[in-house]
Formats: sequence, C-alpha cells, structure tokens
Amino acid sequence: MRFLSQCAGLAILSLSAGPPSLMAQQSGEEIFQQKCVACHTLNADRLVGPGLAGVMTRRDRAWVKRFIMRPDLVLGSEDSIAAGLLEEYLVPMPNFGITDAEAEALIAFLGGGGGGAAAGETAAAPDVVEPATEEQILLGQDLFQGKIRFTNGGPTCNSCHDVIHDAVIGGGVLAAELTTVFSRLGGPGVRAIIGSPPFPVMQRAYLNKALTDEEVAALVGFLQQADAEQALHQPRDYGIKLFVAGVAGTVILLGLYSLVWRRRTTGSVNQSIYDRQIKST
Amino acid sequence: MDIRSQISMVFHLDKCIGCHTCSIACKNIWTDRKGAEYMWWNNVETKPGTGYPGKWENQDIYKGGWEVTDDGIQLKGAGKPKSLTNIFHNPHMPVIDDYYEPFTYKYLDLIESPAGDDQPTARPISMITGEPMDIKMGPNWDDDLSGSPDYARNDPNLEKLSPAEKEAMFQLERMAFFYLPRICNHCLNPACVASCPSGAIYKRGEDGIVLINQEVCRGWRMCVTACPYKKTYYNWSTGKSEKCILCYPRLEAGEAPACMHSCVGRIRYLGVLLYDADQIESVASAPETDVVNRQLDMILDPFDPDVIASAKSNGVADSTIDAAQKSPAYKFVKEWNLALPLHPEFRTLPMLFYVPPLLPVMASVTKVDNKEQSEKMHPVGKYWPDSWLYDTSTEELFGTIDEARFPLQYMANLFSAGDTAQVGDRLKKLMAVRLHRRQVTVGDVSEKMVKSALDDTGLTPQSADDIYYLTSLAHFNDRFVIPAAHREQAIEMMEFAGDVKGSTGFGFKTGTAKRGA
Repeated sequence: MRFLSQCAGLAILSLSAGPPSLMAQQSGEEIFQQKCVACHTLNADRLVGPGLAGVMTRRDRAWVKRFIMRPDLVLGSEDSIAAGLLEEYLVPMPNFGITDAEAEALIAFLGGGGGGAAAGETAAAPDVVEPATEEQILLGQDLFQGKIRFTNGGPTCNSCHDVIHDAVIGGGVLAAELTTVFSRLGGPGVRAIIGSPPFPVMQRAYLNKALTDEEVAALVGFLQQADAEQALHQPRDYGIKLFVAGVAGTVILLGLYSLVWRRRTTGSVNQSIYDRQIKST
Repeated sequence: MDIRSQISMVFHLDKCIGCHTCSIACKNIWTDRKGAEYMWWNNVETKPGTGYPGKWENQDIYKGGWEVTDDGIQLKGAGKPKSLTNIFHNPHMPVIDDYYEPFTYKYLDLIESPAGDDQPTARPISMITGEPMDIKMGPNWDDDLSGSPDYARNDPNLEKLSPAEKEAMFQLERMAFFYLPRICNHCLNPACVASCPSGAIYKRGEDGIVLINQEVCRGWRMCVTACPYKKTYYNWSTGKSEKCILCYPRLEAGEAPACMHSCVGRIRYLGVLLYDADQIESVASAPETDVVNRQLDMILDPFDPDVIASAKSNGVADSTIDAAQKSPAYKFVKEWNLALPLHPEFRTLPMLFYVPPLLPVMASVTKVDNKEQSEKMHPVGKYWPDSWLYDTSTEELFGTIDEARFPLQYMANLFSAGDTAQVGDRLKKLMAVRLHRRQVTVGDVSEKMVKSALDDTGLTPQSADDIYYLTSLAHFNDRFVIPAAHREQAIEMMEFAGDVKGSTGFGFKTGTAKRGA
C-alpha cells in the first residue's frame, strides 16, 4: 500500500513538473519556434497569419500581449484591429494558453524592449520545396485514410478531416474540411500546421506522436493535389438511397435465409403443453 | 479381423423399479455444475411416454442418427456438407424447453422471512436466470403417466401401431408401463464422433468409451443434433458439449460406474465384449431389421483361440480377454441372446443392451358373478360392484406373450427396428426361464410343459438356471466384470517411471515440528 501511494505521489510530481515549468525557462525564440512559426514569419511575408516584422512598432505593447495570451477573447470582443485582421487572414488564431512570463519573453524576442533587435535577421524565408512526386501523393493519400499507419502511431487524418477526393470515402466531420486548405493557407502554412500543429486538440492528439518529415511531405503533396484537382473529383453522394438500399438488402437476405432454412426447428416440442399451463404472473 | 474391446452394458428392464437412484448418483457426481443443471447423463423414462428431451426418438424433429443414402450411410442432420453450411446456426438444435428449465427453491425464505400473517413459501427459482419462475417441465415429468394424452399417447414408438393396438394399450384394465433407464450407449458407429467439426469426440481405443475432449471442443453442437439418443449436451456456461463418460475414472480404479453401483434393482451389468471393427460400416449399412442380428454377429466368442490370437495381436491385454470371458454382457447378449440394443434403426450400433421387459402382462378379463362375495361383506365396508375377473393365469404356453398388454409391435419398435420376431424370441426365453423356475420351486407346472418351453426357446435347464442366477442372485463381482485399465502402461508410454523412483515416500521431511510452549 505504501509502495503504491509512493508511486502515485511520484507520478503526480512528474506530471506537475512537466511542460509548464520547462516552458517558463524557455527563451522567447524557443517559444516562437515551438508555437508561432507554423503560421507566422519574422519578416513581412504572409504565411497563415501576418508576418511579424515590426509588429511591436505597429501595435500597442499591451494589445500585443493581450492578443498573444488570449486571442480568442480579443477576437471575440469588438476590437476593430482584430476584426480587420480576421477579415484579411480568415483563420482565427487559437489560444495556446501562453503564460504571462512566456508572453513577456515573446514580446522581448519580437523587439518590444531589449534584445529583440535581431528578430528580423533570424527570420528565414520558407524553403522552396520541390513539388511532390507521384509516389509521395499516393503515400499521402494512403496516410490520410489510414491505409498506412503513421510511423509514430498518430491518429489518421480522416478520423477528423474530410477531403473531396475520389479515393477518400467518408472522412471525418469533427474538424475542418481540407479540400481547399492548400489554396487558403499555402504550402508552407499547411506544412507547418501538419509538422507542429497549433491547434490544442491536434496538439494533444499528436503529443509524442509527431509525424516524420516524409509523412508531412507526402500529406502536403496529397493535399496540394486534392486542391488542384478538386474540380475533377466528384465522389458520389448516395444520400437516402444508400440507407434504403441497405434496408432492402437486409430484407432480401433475411427472406433468403428463412427460405433456405425453412425446415429448421422452431420452438419447443413441448410448446402445446406449455401453452395450456397456468402462469403465476 | 480387427478385434477391439468394448466395455458394454446390459440393463435388465424387468428388474427396474423406476426409483431414479441412478440419475441422482450421476447428477451428484457429474452434472451438479453451472451450465450442466439441465443435463441428465443418466435418466429414467416411463414408457410409453415422450421421454427426455421430449419426443427424442422422433428423428423427423431432431434429425439424429444415420440414414441410408445412395452413397452408403450418411448422418441425418450433420456431416461435412450439412455442418459446413449450417455451422453458424445449427437448424435442428433442441432448445432448453425441449429438455426443461432447471430450477431450485428459495429455501432460505422459509427460515429468514420476517414474521407475518402467512406461512413463508420457498418460491421456485430458475437455475439459469436466477429469477423466480413457473416450473413447466422436469426431466421425468411424465413419470408413471401411462395413458396420458400429452405424454404416453405422444410416444413416437406408437407410430407404426394400428389405432386398435394403441387403444388396447391404454384401456383402463390393460394399461401398463415400464421404465427405460438411459445413458450414453457408447456406440460402435457413433454419430456424435462423426459429426464433430473440431474432431473433439473420440472413442477410446482400450475400452470403447466415447469421450468429448473439453480442450478441443469448440461448441459447434453438431453432436447434440447428431446423437439420436440426445445424450450429448451443451453446457451453456463453459460453451462446450458434455456427455456420459461411463465414469471412466471409476472404471480405471476398478469400480463400477456410479449409476450401476447405486442401482437399487441391480438391473445393470457391465463387462467387456470383443468385436470385429472391420464390419462396422457394412453392419451399419445393413437393411433395417438385419442391423441387430448383424451387430450381434460382430461380437465374437472370447473363448475362440483365433479370436484370442487376433485380439492379442491387436494389443488387447490378457486381462481384458479374461474379463471378456467372464463378461455378464457376453452372456446376456451372445450366449443366451436375451438382450437387444435400443433403437438399432438409428444405425449407431449402440453397445448398451436391454433385456426387454416381460411385464406382468398375462391377464384375461372375464365376467363373473361376485354376488356371493359381496354379500359376505359389511355394507359399510368393501362393496365391489365390479363383476370382472382379472385373471393372470393361462393354459397356453406362450399365448400371453402374443396377447401381452403391450403389443409386441411396441416392444419391437423400441428394440428391434419393428421386427416382432426378434423381441418375441427374447420374451419367450424369459417366459421359459420363469416356467422352469416355477417348476423347480413350486412344482405346479407340468414337467412336460416346461421341457417343451425350454426346447422351443433353445434353452437347457442348466442355461435357464444360469440366467436365473445372473438375473436374481448375482453378486457385485458377477454383475460388474471390469478389466484392469493398465494405466501404468499408459503412463510409461508418456514418461520414464524410473525418473521418480526413490523420490517419493518416507524420508523427505524438511524439518522437525517445534514442540513445547
């Protein structure tokens, strides 16, 4: 018993000593690489969200801090800057649960008071990626549907996402429909989101199950192809007919069974005796 | 010749009193378990009656046993093509209501109920669901119910009888019944073995006991359908099928099976028969009324030197041959030709034989004048207005057998596939033995009459006395001649017994117990 409670105590300790306390010690740059780089560059280039060069001069420091910590609140309020940004960039920034200390570190890194001067220089333009090969697209198609498992055991894409594509039958509806994601977010944005997901649910789903570079490239290739060829792909939607056909098939099958096994034993040989017996209830 | 040994049984139906002690002994030892409550590996039925499970002899319902087709004999309700196409739902399975829903009573309510205005009662509880239930049926629900419309008159063996014969059976003065105790027949051509898709059922080489390997059984239940005697049962708790194992652990220790050991009427005999396994297929395929005689021909004389030599070359132990020579089964079945298998037309070649019941069948009813008798009695006392005399004496030798209260045809349907001559033979022998013993002990039967009776049936006074002895006076060791099982040889085949020599017994104590305070 004592051993068990010690184990439990250790487990709780190790849990509480997990990510948050580690993050507190991270520098602004590390936090940026971890959480922001998927959507933002450090120059003026647009990725998913706006490039962040000179953001600290464009915006009020307090506003930036508030937006970093609680983007959902700012976007939900009647803040005109936030509304304008959402209109321009379409994708609302998710809440990453960034703490006060982390926000300060990020602002410092972005040039909001001391030590952030180098921000512009560290920003690297996204690599120019070669277009995906045919094999990669096919691999991405299989990975998306789970025909091939992810190396690290992450859940398949179509558990939650759908893509209009002849090869994909019935994707999930829990998360965004991804047919046009490539034209909406662009190659680097898609790659960044798949590689290090900014969305809390996706983060949790792929915690310790990160996709490999080959898998990311394959999926991006597939999504790019799906986007480019969406007009050619028209998976049929059977609607109510599918349900009706299912019911009709069941009825036909049951009828066939009762015909084939019509001489089966039904009921008990003693049924006529039981039927005449008086029941207590 | 392929001589094998079979532990065979003979049940003497004239001696069965229908006490169900055998059933209870078996139940207490083997089927007093969860999932087995409804099973009665041994059960006793009243005949005429529908038995357990209901109408089990009607293979139009249950599809058990073998049938003759163009390609020889085939299983009626199982076999490779039928089993394969029906493997996920066997369409001829008996349901629990064909047997009965097992029940017990909530006895604790009798002593634990709070004080109240009414006596507490012990409600019946289902042993399957644990819920209160209405008892609808039992394993011997038609016990002693001859003439009942639901049971006796639905006996499948009445089918080939004429309406007049049926009515005669159930006339009030003529009504009779007898008991038919049943266990697994440990057949030579077992349908259960043939039907098993998993190969879990096998007939033991050394003694012919048919067993289900519980580790191989997959619960397909084809054996339940295939056995025409409905003597394999499905255990709903373990998901495996079970059947009578002829108490083989007891047999291997030299003890009689529990049902036989406990038999109050001492109706049961057990001994070895040697038979020629090469003939099994041809005998099982023989025309219906020939099956019995051909089956008896398969059973060989254990005193014949050729048979002994052949048996030895087949690995039959000397002790087994010796047991076969002393076997009461051999005497009843072959030497005296008194016993018949139950329903040979199912073609499984059952190795449990029945001496058919003679019953108190001899009676004629004549009108007499009872006036004188009645006048002697006090009016308040017995007054007997009936003027019919129920007379059990007869002048004619075997006349009563043909005029038995049970038509011979009924007995023939049970024991000889409808051939009345074969059952008639056995009954006449029983009758001749009775006449002979009557002459010996009472002497009111003429010697000439007894002699002609014995000659008619091919018996001698000596053999009649032997039959009388084994029927009425036999000791335990006469009734059960159990061959040594030679388990030591079986063990030595698997492991070297010398390995454990010197490592068991005294002298291995690990320490001395501490004494004192």
